[in-house]
Amino acid sequence: MTLSKTAVKVGDEMTTLARTVTQEQINLYAEASGDPNPIHTNEEFARMVGLPGTIAHGMLNMGILTEAVARWAGGNDNVLSISCRFSKPLLPGDTISCTGRVVAVDEEKGIATLDVAASSDRGDTVLSNGRADVRLTA
Amino acid sequence: MPDSSHVGRSYRAEGQVVDGERAARFAASIAGNDEVYQPDTVPPTYAAVYCMFPALGQVFGDAEIGINLAGLIHGEQSFTFHEPVRAGDVVDSEATIASVEEKRGMTFVGVEMRSTREGTPVCSGRALLIIRG
Repeated sequence: MTLSKTAVKVGDEMTTLARTVTQEQINLYAEASGDPNPIHTNEEFARMVGLPGTIAHGMLNMGILTEAVARWAGGNDNVLSISCRFSKPLLPGDTISCTGRVVAVDEEKGIATLDVAASSDRGDTVLSNGRADVRLTA
Repeated sequence: MPDSSHVGRSYRAEGQVVDGERAARFAASIAGNDEVYQPDTVPPTYAAVYCMFPALGQVFGDAEIGINLAGLIHGEQSFTFHEPVRAGDVVDSEATIASVEEKRGMTFVGVEMRSTREGTPVCSGRALLIIRG
């Protein structure tokens, strides 16, 4: 499935994706991504550097946001670009909610641009200044 | 500590193999307790593995720049996907230190990165690193 460029309009909301992130998931991301930073996996170390505990990788949060964009756009291959700022940490057990809104449609190129963001159920903006381009079909 | 004299320094990481099993574990870690979305594809942000970390790893390992990982924050990240990457692809990645700025007692380092497959761009991106203290 892909999005038709005649159907997508400025102001359209992306389907929200909410996911509760577990420590087990963070550990798996650490291994699979190759990120060795112990702030994500070692509670004691995380507290030592002034964090409330371990935190999810910013790139894991961005991965979930990118999945939300891909689901809305009808496939991973339709995500043309994504960018964001890592604003606040997400802690294990938190639920991340990824949202987005269409801010531009280029019918000639068949591309929609979305403002995207992610927040946690503790009220923090986790990912901000997010932008994504997705491919639309004729 | 990085300074403006380091701008333009570049690093290459050639022959990054997109490992299908690792990409599947990566996809499972993004999914958590949910079902993996499109398990037959490589998640777009797997670019962290073949494009970003090979680049940043070399920047961190450059003793002349001397980034202290303990005070390091990944501030921003962008990726542009020029072509989808598939399991088994071999990509060459490179990174360039694009900017170093001192602001409010912190150092902001911009790193531009790109990956090619047989010379054709597949992914490009930019990381903003923030070093405290």
